[in-house]
Amino acid sequence: MVAETELPHYDREKAAAERAAIDGSCRGPVLFFAASAVCWLLVGSALALMASIKLHSPSFLTSTAELTFGRVRMAHLQAVGIGWSSMAAVAAALWLMCRLARAELMYPRILYVAGVLWNIGVALAVFGILGGDGQSVEWLDAPPYTPPFLVAALGIVAAWVVATFRRRRETHLYVSQWYILGAVFWFPWIYTVAVFMIFWSPATGVVQPIVNWWFGHNVLGLWFTPIALASIYYIIPKVIGRPIHSYYLSITGFWALALFYSWAGMHHLIGGPIPAWLATASIVGSVMMFIPVIAVAINHHMTMLGHFHRLKYSPALRFTVFGAIAYTWVSFQGAIEALKDFSEVAHFTQYTVAHAHLGAYGFVAMTFFGLFYYMVPRLTGREWANATLIRIHFWCASIGITIYFVSLSIGGWWQGRMLNNPNVPIGNIVNYLLPYFFNRSIAGVLLTIGHVAFAVSFVMNLAGWGKKRVGGPTYFVQAATTSPPVLMPY
Amino acid sequence: MDRGMVIFLGALLTCASSWLGLILYPYWQLNGEKPYQKDAADDPYPQPLQGQALAGRKVYQQNGCMYCHSQQVRSEKFGNWWDENGQMKTGADIKRGWGLRRTVSRDYIHDNPTMLGTMRTGPDLVNVGSRYSASWQYTHTFNARTFNSWSVMPSFAFLYMKEAVVGERSEKALKLGREWTVDPGYRWRPSAREWDTILIARGAAITTQFLGESIRAGDANLNPDTPEGKKRLLDFWLTTEEEGYQVVPTGDAEALVAYLLALRKAEVSLPEAKE
Amino acid sequence: MSAVDFAVLASVVGSIVLFGGAAALAIGWAFRSGQFDNFQQGAHSIFGPDEPIGEATDGKLDIECQADTPQ
Repeated sequence: MVAETELPHYDREKAAAERAAIDGSCRGPVLFFAASAVCWLLVGSALALMASIKLHSPSFLTSTAELTFGRVRMAHLQAVGIGWSSMAAVAAALWLMCRLARAELMYPRILYVAGVLWNIGVALAVFGILGGDGQSVEWLDAPPYTPPFLVAALGIVAAWVVATFRRRRETHLYVSQWYILGAVFWFPWIYTVAVFMIFWSPATGVVQPIVNWWFGHNVLGLWFTPIALASIYYIIPKVIGRPIHSYYLSITGFWALALFYSWAGMHHLIGGPIPAWLATASIVGSVMMFIPVIAVAINHHMTMLGHFHRLKYSPALRFTVFGAIAYTWVSFQGAIEALKDFSEVAHFTQYTVAHAHLGAYGFVAMTFFGLFYYMVPRLTGREWANATLIRIHFWCASIGITIYFVSLSIGGWWQGRMLNNPNVPIGNIVNYLLPYFFNRSIAGVLLTIGHVAFAVSFVMNLAGWGKKRVGGPTYFVQAATTSPPVLMPY
Repeated sequence: MDRGMVIFLGALLTCASSWLGLILYPYWQLNGEKPYQKDAADDPYPQPLQGQALAGRKVYQQNGCMYCHSQQVRSEKFGNWWDENGQMKTGADIKRGWGLRRTVSRDYIHDNPTMLGTMRTGPDLVNVGSRYSASWQYTHTFNARTFNSWSVMPSFAFLYMKEAVVGERSEKALKLGREWTVDPGYRWRPSAREWDTILIARGAAITTQFLGESIRAGDANLNPDTPEGKKRLLDFWLTTEEEGYQVVPTGDAEALVAYLLALRKAEVSLPEAKE
Repeated sequence: MSAVDFAVLASVVGSIVLFGGAAALAIGWAFRSGQFDNFQQGAHSIFGPDEPIGEATDGKLDIECQADTPQ
């Protein structure tokens, strides 16, 4: 529907009323998942700081089994991976699907059940690991009593996303919907396969890490990436009021991602005790990822061209564009990192940790922050109360992740070079890394400050502080120019 | 692209392709790989873990040791460095003594979970059983900094028990100076005031012991009354064992060390990976 | 070549044929059924009479609680 600048007023009203009804129908479950995500973000940040400090100050909190580095590290990943990032992704998927399908969410109460199940699952994972039930399977460290909760919750969420999609009033499928539909199909599949082949019916020997890294890499590329990209494809055009530059590039990007990403997983095992053809196949898949990433990058950049000044005014846009740039950067880096000569140095080092956090934080987390800054006021009907808190969040997050990435990339690279020289004793390598570990803790403190600022903003908004949204077309409808804004009933 | 079915089928097929290629085919190829037996008289390799070593693997798994230590040796083609003549050499893992050969899939057929690891904050451990003795492992896991001050490995003192000595010291007691056992997991050093108090109470005995050591070391002129002498007295005293207390491993620690000693992959020659 | 290896090779070749064929069919169907006519129009679907193209919809910072004025 191409809009014109002069429309009959009732058309605007009707559309705004429809949008308000859609937002209202999914408000409860979306905010529940979003709020849970923010809580887990704080828990995950605390665990992250603990782990980071332990690496340069090993006597920090070292007396108990529950807080030993290995357990804290595993618990941290569960809290930020399955807690913060995944629950934020669910909130995003639900809201975006409702909006894009122009369909209201039916029976939202069942999604509360899903949310509770998901929270229980994450809590069991985090506290189970600290209590000693960690599995030492990367990304799947959660104890064996956790998957049933996550599978049930995920199943409900996936079903509800598809159900909303099937009730759509908007006949066209926007690019974000392709990504979301892909994600809610892919994640349950890869999770079930991995849990089955590693825990329920464990495969022999190295088949386990092979399955593990098929899962581990795909959870990034077929769960987090699609939903984050869906968010970027929606927020950038919506905020600046301009459609995506090239829809052809969008479709290329989507199918190329679907095809190539899932082949890249074995690059985590290059040089390892796996058949050579597996590693080669994954290196090919990793390099082919240049295609969808370039397509997406061109699309986002060309859409933003001429509108970069809006970054000053819109926090949603700021975080989202940061995320989009980080996506391009981390994907290029990843494709190159998969090449044998590079992997030889970077494998086993802090370099991969830096890369992982550029992706999981610089791309995924920042994108979801951007989405929340756009979505939450439209769901609660309240603007963000305090612009300073938002600024603190943005600058702490962006500077923090930059320090994190730069420090550990440099440190990790030279760690790798030294590891590859048998004349360099391990002690030298550890001593060399200490200042970089310390930098990571500094970065972690900054990130945590940002998260606290964000959480405070979020709570204030939910609690009803902040001015009512006016002038924005979403929630409030201008009945006429002279009378005050009319609240739509919800 | 306006039909959900198109997206569904496409998503299904693209993911199915990688599922086939990266999951099913390797599963067919590698699952159920058998141990290698050179002659009928030899033991098959590898052998599954049993008893304490098996229990120890669980301790290793639960405490996330994999997140700093890998368990895989890369081949001679991996890991380049340039020596003093500027010549490029490869095979860093093997040259570091982490294994006699690269590890292959057969080495791991009895591992569940298979903890290959992706981080080398610390050294690779797949062959650590052939590098360190049991007593070294006990002391090192209790507190790695007793051996290497640069180590950032966490202290696993919580796997050990500090108890009062009843009768004779246990054989299993760790042989460590009091600076490591007074506050397990931490390196203890009394403050200047605390040291003065201790000297008042027990200074005579400590001094006698210290002077005996100094004479043995050929340092007969050391004066324990000077500040410098007091410091050296303290340094010496910290290395003596704590009277009346000992640190012994719990069952978990014994299991863990048994597991570490059992880690001896990358030693036996296999047809697919010779030394 | 062992039986397993042969099975793997046959499956690989068969899969490439099947998947490649499916992809070719899909692209053929897409063009024939007119998916690509007026394709760029899809990018407009997220806008509406209440949030039309040309109007920004987020202007929190610096402009307190007001949407940016239309260009």
